Amino acid sequence: MEYGGRRGMWNILEVLDACGVKATFFVCGATAEKYPDVVRAAHADGHEIAGMSYAFERVRTASPARERGIVTRTAKALEDTCGSRIRGWRCPDYRLSPQTLDILSEFDFTWDSSLLNDDLPCLFKCAGGTIVELPFTTSTADKTYIGYPYPMRGGPDGLANVWDCEFDVLYRESERAPRFLILSIQTWATGRPAPLRTLRRFIERLRKHNDVQFARCGEIVAWCSKGN
Amino acid sequence: MWTEIQLQKPGRWPQGIRLPIVISVHHQSEEAAVVFPDGQVDPFDYSERQYGGRRGAWRLLEILEKHGVLGTWIICGATVEKYPEISREVKKLGYSIAGHTYEHEMMCNYPPDHELRLIRKTVSVFEDKLGDHLKGWRTCFASHHTVDLLLEHFDFEWDASIWNDDLPYIIEGYGKKLLEIPFSSYSDAACAIQITNPMPPTPYGTWHSNTPEFILRTMKSQFDALYERGAERAVLMPLTVHDFIVGRPSRSLILDQFIAYAKQFDGAVFATHDEVTAWWLENYKAQ
Repeated sequence: MEYGGRRGMWNILEVLDACGVKATFFVCGATAEKYPDVVRAAHADGHEIAGMSYAFERVRTASPARERGIVTRTAKALEDTCGSRIRGWRCPDYRLSPQTLDILSEFDFTWDSSLLNDDLPCLFKCAGGTIVELPFTTSTADKTYIGYPYPMRGGPDGLANVWDCEFDVLYRESERAPRFLILSIQTWATGRPAPLRTLRRFIERLRKHNDVQFARCGEIVAWCSKGN
Repeated sequence: MWTEIQLQKPGRWPQGIRLPIVISVHHQSEEAAVVFPDGQVDPFDYSERQYGGRRGAWRLLEILEKHGVLGTWIICGATVEKYPEISREVKKLGYSIAGHTYEHEMMCNYPPDHELRLIRKTVSVFEDKLGDHLKGWRTCFASHHTVDLLLEHFDFEWDASIWNDDLPYIIEGYGKKLLEIPFSSYSDAACAIQITNPMPPTPYGTWHSNTPEFILRTMKSQFDALYERGAERAVLMPLTVHDFIVGRPSRSLILDQFIAYAKQFDGAVFATHDEVTAWWLENYKAQ
């Protein structure tokens, strides 16, 4: 795991930079405190920084007070590191509590990405305003193939196959309906050299299509908000 | 109690059919979501599976329609209530429909009277919401009473809940007949399943999924073996896909490409469970 903070994130930044792609990094508050340089570098390069708990706390059954504490502590750690407020969030174990979205809205978050139930974003009216939900998927997760404990199920090539299939289907469907491809990778998994090459090749493949655009989560959220 | 009716001659399919492929689309969406010991449904697993009802099922239907093949939709009662449009659509388009319990209850965990109540409840949802009188049933994890209950209390024409044979077989009891159409773990896209560990000891390794490439290769191997065997004897290829698994974009390509592959072979036909039932019963009537 430590590999992600020490090395993997730098490696991923290098690939993104080489390809001219801006991404969203979901960072734990504690990770930002331990590895401030790389988080600052990502932010300075124009990548988006979003929160993902302070130290991987699970909030499914947490009290609202405890959950508020986690959100504010994380937001502060990331703001202290990068110098700007974060607007997006993902629950580290993808298990929202009944009040997570309300709490995020109270603290001026504009989006969350913890659900897995759709191909398209949706809007939630919450206590403190609207939260845009960007559903993601574990079906293309790197961990399954290259992560823990060992590479398996095809390893980096298997991962390439899953990503290629995901793109092929969504790209074809985008002729008829709006689609977006959301890919979640772990710095400690895809940050290793072999899967890093898979990532680079995948991005290069996508870049050959002039009607495919890379976007940070915040940009997708801005597009959704504009439409409403 | 029931007994199996033995055919006097080996069963055959109608002229020109060498390998029937019976696709079962499991449309169960979030019904089987994990429940924690504290009684709360796992929000992660729920969301993961809810994709099936909201999106996955429609994507699978689109693929079947694109290829012009029919199959069977295996639907939970509660799923019909939550997502009625797609159930109505598949009924209209001529797919076979089977009940798949009410909320994906694991029937092996229940006494017969409770299982009977759940089957009745499911059957009445299909009557009320779809105007459909169920001919087929696939349970979730059959109990030792499942087949008995189906025969004694209902008039199902077929059941596809048991994994114990290559070919259908006719059973008889309570003055009625029922065709058992077995399926197999080979044909289940469960090799693609995302297993969500409800209480992960670590945040990692909570899901496991083979690649689309591997799953497609496994499906083709099974097809090739059965097609070869079909030159000499009756064979059947059951193929199960779940709305929340193969309905995901990357996995949907497996179904799409498998259908395209199988269609190239003479005598390989996509059939519904209703058709298979009619065809197999001809063997009995002919003797």
